[in-house]
Amino acid sequence: MAGWLEGEPMYADKQLVIRHTVPAGGLSFSGILDIFNADSVASCLSSQLDGQGDLHIDLSKVEFCDVSGIRALVSAAETAGDGRRLVLHGLPPLLARVMTLVGWGDLPTLSLCGCSAEQP
Amino acid sequence: MSDQATHSHAGYRHDALLYAGTAEFVSRTSPFIRGGLAAGEPVMVATSAHKIELLRSELGHEAQQVVFADMAQVGANPARIIPFWSEFVDRSAAAGRSFRGIGEPIWAGRSAAELVECQRHESLLNVAVSQETPMWLLCPYDTEVLEPDVIREALRSHPFVTEGSRPATAAQGPQRNDLFRGIDASAAPFDAPLAPPPSGCHEFEFGMGAITTVREIVAASAYAAGLGAARAADLVQAAHEVAVNSVRHGGGRGVLRVWRDAGALICEVTDQGRITEPLVDRQRPDARAATRRGLWLANQLCDLVQIRSLRSGSVVRLVMNG
Repeated sequence: MAGWLEGEPMYADKQLVIRHTVPAGGLSFSGILDIFNADSVASCLSSQLDGQGDLHIDLSKVEFCDVSGIRALVSAAETAGDGRRLVLHGLPPLLARVMTLVGWGDLPTLSLCGCSAEQP
Repeated sequence: MSDQATHSHAGYRHDALLYAGTAEFVSRTSPFIRGGLAAGEPVMVATSAHKIELLRSELGHEAQQVVFADMAQVGANPARIIPFWSEFVDRSAAAGRSFRGIGEPIWAGRSAAELVECQRHESLLNVAVSQETPMWLLCPYDTEVLEPDVIREALRSHPFVTEGSRPATAAQGPQRNDLFRGIDASAAPFDAPLAPPPSGCHEFEFGMGAITTVREIVAASAYAAGLGAARAADLVQAAHEVAVNSVRHGGGRGVLRVWRDAGALICEVTDQGRITEPLVDRQRPDARAATRRGLWLANQLCDLVQIRSLRSGSVVRLVMNG
């Protein structure tokens, strides 16, 4: 999501920072999402999904994401309910490919935006 | 003929077809294809680009009804062939009629390592497709160019075999094959020997805390081997998932070994676990299922994956050709 402004961090660990974005209602991930922080990120995302409308997530600054990390996004999307979706933006090409390969590229509650990753 | 063709394979048939040379390939497979088309069956053929051209020319306008696939592409990594057939089965079964396939995974140019994985693939085809599935799958083997031991193994991995000059029609179909190893043995843990890693290869024992180091070692080795950035990232992803499997399912620890072999980069992960599901690496994950996805993913990202389940534990080798 080129042009998104980043707000204050809402989650941080040794390898990943998640910030609120401006306009509000979005999140921006930077760093590594994998087996070490997948559970924490999943519960953190669930808490963000009690509002209204879709939750937009910018993944263009994710350096590495494994199957556990993708599962965290998928499980958050599945708990969203009420027609809410998780909309993923700026997926690095390998992450988009891996999501499709492992069968999580086409879920009703998880939408992959075709927009290109933000240029640094 | 069409009646016999329709009723000849109410269930699954997995046949080896032994032929001598490309002319015989065409004369033996075209009646099988025509028999299927005459019975209104979907027919898919996966073989070399050259043989596809010969078949198109033999079949004329009938070729338009056949789906052709270049085996050098869909089957470059032999573990991707079963998912390829599974899609054909799902597509065709929806139409409610029986269907036919021709798949030639083994050709003279296969490397020794690929050949072994192709042979494992052929055995697993007895397990991957249920006996009720109305598919007749014919696997051609060229006796002119393949070694006798390759032909012998083809006889062990196929319940039916046909050879000689008889056309493989329903009326004169393949014969039950006494050498077939059976379905249970086809699904048994795979323990075919692997050449030992070279002495002095990079070796690193890891637990959960060192998974990041596993990625760093693989990334550095891929860079040193001159792998392109995208393929290096594919290998790092695959190695990470396999290493995570070792920590979670393989006794909490594993050993990574990395070396180069004739231009290829090989990453091996060994652990104390057993891999007991024979199709774990070649069943497309269902979005809803909490299935293991690591080995599946490795097969989609790497040129070859060699999985062994031994008394001492399991071995997973990821191969990226240079």
